[in-house]
Amino acid sequence: MAILKTDNITMQFGGLTAVSDLKIELEKNQIAGLIGPNGAGKTTAFNMITGVYVPTKGKIFYNDMDITMKKPHEITKLGIARTFQNIRLFKELSVLDNVFVANHLRLKSNWVSSVIRTPQYTLKEKEMHEKSLDLLEKVGLIDVKDEDSYSLPYGMQRRLEIARALATKPEVLLLDEPAAGMNPQESQDLMSFISRIRDEFNLTILMIEHHMQVVMGICEKIYVLDYGVTIAQGNPFEIQNNQKVIEAYLGVD
Amino acid sequence: MKEKTLRTLSWGWWLKNLVTNKNNLYTIIAIVFTLLIIGVLNNTLDNYQIRIFNLCAIYIILALSMNLINGFVGLFSLGHAGFMAIGAYTCALLTMSPEVKQMNFFLKPIVPWLANVQLPFPAGVLIAGIMAAVAGALIGAPVLRLKDDYLAIATLGFAEIIRIVFTNLQSITNGALGLKGLPNTVNVWWTWGIAIATIIFMILLIKGSYGKAFKAIREDEIAAEAMGISLFKHKMMAFVIGSFLAGVGGALLGHLMGTIDPLMFRFLLTFNIVLIVVFGGIGSITGNVISAVIVTIMMEILRVLDGKMDFGFIEIQGIPGLRMVMFSLILMIVILYWQRGLMGTKEFSWSWLGKISRRVVFRTKDC
Ligand SMILES: Nc1ncnc2c1ncn2[C@@H]1O[C@H](COP(=O)(O)OP(=O)(O)O)[C@@H](O)[C@H]1O
Ligand SMILES: [Mg+2]
Repeated sequence: MAILKTDNITMQFGGLTAVSDLKIELEKNQIAGLIGPNGAGKTTAFNMITGVYVPTKGKIFYNDMDITMKKPHEITKLGIARTFQNIRLFKELSVLDNVFVANHLRLKSNWVSSVIRTPQYTLKEKEMHEKSLDLLEKVGLIDVKDEDSYSLPYGMQRRLEIARALATKPEVLLLDEPAAGMNPQESQDLMSFISRIRDEFNLTILMIEHHMQVVMGICEKIYVLDYGVTIAQGNPFEIQNNQKVIEAYLGVD
Repeated sequence: MKEKTLRTLSWGWWLKNLVTNKNNLYTIIAIVFTLLIIGVLNNTLDNYQIRIFNLCAIYIILALSMNLINGFVGLFSLGHAGFMAIGAYTCALLTMSPEVKQMNFFLKPIVPWLANVQLPFPAGVLIAGIMAAVAGALIGAPVLRLKDDYLAIATLGFAEIIRIVFTNLQSITNGALGLKGLPNTVNVWWTWGIAIATIIFMILLIKGSYGKAFKAIREDEIAAEAMGISLFKHKMMAFVIGSFLAGVGGALLGHLMGTIDPLMFRFLLTFNIVLIVVFGGIGSITGNVISAVIVTIMMEILRVLDGKMDFGFIEIQGIPGLRMVMFSLILMIVILYWQRGLMGTKEFSWSWLGKISRRVVFRTKDC
């Protein structure tokens, strides 16, 4: 059974069809890639899955539940977390608080108990705090936990965004160009980091990448978009030898 | 049975935690000390000064309530005067004696269901807050979906509508005539008591998980939503709490003045609070408390500008409004040179005080 499935989703902005009839099926614990040139509609696909946009047509299923009309925060609560292509950290919050606040959605106490610090709330807050520290330890950011998030170097900001997404306790993690702006060595490190967290947190991962090479080694399944149309899908070997993909990437008509 | 003992046990643990934590102890000592100072001032200041002292406390409440909405959640709301009007009128109508009401409503008698109610002042203040909160919930539901400038315009419109409605509800609000002779129940214990309670409430709220969620929304709505934070729920929460406090502040202000009318709740009133919040630092409780006191006192000192001024060699006729012009100028200068206000988003904390004092001690040792 597919954990995440998009059933021919289409997104139109006015006259522009950013994504048409996209059909993605992710199996549990898979790492899949969504690749394609700039403007192909990859981020738009993420925005539909995470509820930022409601697809013009088609349906999205998560564990067989129809989530097409759900709001972004509801989808995160169900277990789909994401990162952003243009890093979106909470700038004025510390590194630790960026992760802490991603635990907030699982807090059961209401605001009154948070103000009077009921024992239940105090315990839960302590637990959230410890979990956040633990997570920062795991992603190697524990030494900068008290820094403002905007003061971190670029690579660490990307890592923090992933840590923050992990703190929401997802089953499915969507990564939008996590290797953007990194050199080949950094990209390689990131890819092994991603496969490590997949095992450690028992995740299913869908990753957008602009450069084909980066994802070849790690993805078990790849979807290729071009002008919103899925021009190919398959394992890395099939994709690499697909004529349409080669043409799209080389710009041959 | 077992769960009950567990709960009482853990409340015991909670209480122990409260008193054994060193910072909590400092805070309790600081509060006691502040209350002592208030007591001393209450006995030494003259009537006019006491009035300003009360105003400081009321503006602390108002600034913090606006800061919650505009500073911590980052909403651009300008409806404060509206919520204050609701609070002030509610409390006044609930606490005035039937005789005073009858004297006020000489153009058109007051509606029968209000004519004979007379509640104690605390009940009036509480209901004032609740009424403002209800209004906040009703107006918040549609307008909190709007962004930035649109929200500002919608909330501003709301406040003006409240004012116009109050001007025309002759048999409930006495219209443009306003209400005179509000019970003279406000004293420093009420104003400062509620102000201190508000400060503590805000610190606890902002330090907790909900406060962090508010800040996350302020920093990046899209990311906050992607972290599972319901924008609508949290914005609504802050808006309703903020409205409640604005209502309470309005009620206290009305009783301090002794007289209220719709003109008192013009945009200028909201602007005064915006000024305090911006001056103190949008998103800093400490900054807003300090700035509420400074601005309130400055406003009084600058009052001379509106009157006749005699410099010995030259005499200037009073120019009404010069005070506000001066104040706006000061605000502009602060914004230009000190963009984030006195404190930015920084806060006072005991550990920060410890650091500063250690530094001072080390310096003096060096010399
Ligand atoms: N909110 C929007 N309104 C209008 N057009 C959009 C919007 N979002 C994306 N697009 C357009 O959709 C197309 C796909 O964009 P995007 O999904 O960001 O591409 P990719 O992530 O693959 O680079 C682009 O042509 C882009 O301009
Ligand atoms: Mg993109």
